[in-house]
Amino acid sequence: MIRDEHEIAKKLTGYLDAGAAQLKAGTLYKLSQARGKALARLGQPARAAEGRTAQAHAYAGAGRGTGSPGSGLRKGAWLWVGVVLIAAAGFGYQQWQVYQQTREIEELDVQILSSDLPIDAYLDRGFQTWLTRFQP
Amino acid sequence: MSGFLAEVERRAFKQAMFATRDEDAALDIVQDAMLKLAEKYADKPPNELPMLFQRILQNTIHDHFRRQKVRNTWTTLLSAFGKGDEKDDDFDPLETLQAKSDSSAMADPARQLEQAQIVGMIEQALTRLPARQREAFLLRYWEELDVAEAAAAMGCSEGSVKTHCSRAVHALAAMLEAKGLKL
Repeated sequence: MIRDEHEIAKKLTGYLDAGAAQLKAGTLYKLSQARGKALARLGQPARAAEGRTAQAHAYAGAGRGTGSPGSGLRKGAWLWVGVVLIAAAGFGYQQWQVYQQTREIEELDVQILSSDLPIDAYLDRGFQTWLTRFQP
Repeated sequence: MSGFLAEVERRAFKQAMFATRDEDAALDIVQDAMLKLAEKYADKPPNELPMLFQRILQNTIHDHFRRQKVRNTWTTLLSAFGKGDEKDDDFDPLETLQAKSDSSAMADPARQLEQAQIVGMIEQALTRLPARQREAFLLRYWEELDVAEAAAAMGCSEGSVKTHCSRAVHALAAMLEAKGLKL
């Protein structure tokens, strides 16, 4: 059973403080760089958030691409993803149209070949005229 | 502002680390939070800064997870274009160096080792806590915000903060006791 939450929490945070005091030198350097960047922005209105974040992430040295949220790079990547998707959709639509046309031609061929009528009849103008005139 | 940021940056980084378990992401989060605070709240009285900074930090962590979720979806979809192993290229020997500790209690190597092990256990236990419990515990006890400030930073009621804190302490104590660490 826990005696006193506050007492335990105090002990735990004491250890957490010790852990925070032992950060790697590289991490501390990056943090100080980030702080310097923030202080340089003191009082400045938030402007061009995209550029700011991209530059800031380069400062932090964390720029491994995947670990840089909100950066201009990511927005660029989104743009490219959009372009690729649109291109893929266009290509797919074109392929589908070609496939449909081929199917229509195939169906027509099958109908003509399976018909009792000789194929020359379709080329005879007189036959076309007769068809239009005497259709039931 | 400079003094305040210098004071909170390590703890903020650790908080982001507990949440994301990714050092680069944690650095980005802390930096974003610092930038937002400096740009938008520089004129606020110093006593309001801790609560404002914590609120920004928590929101930035949540934003990170939202973006990560979307990014993961696309990564799965576009996995055919997988990237190479970039981790090895980014290895920095400087990263392996430990910063000089300010604590005079770290003189004894055996004690230093023991303390490092305990810290490791506690940090690991913290990462296993549910996110809201961890947030409440860190804000209330580590950042020493009062209940109202912690509630404002977390965007929930004071009652929720108390409940999360209590559960967090119980869970941490149980996890550490299971590992043989008596508090």
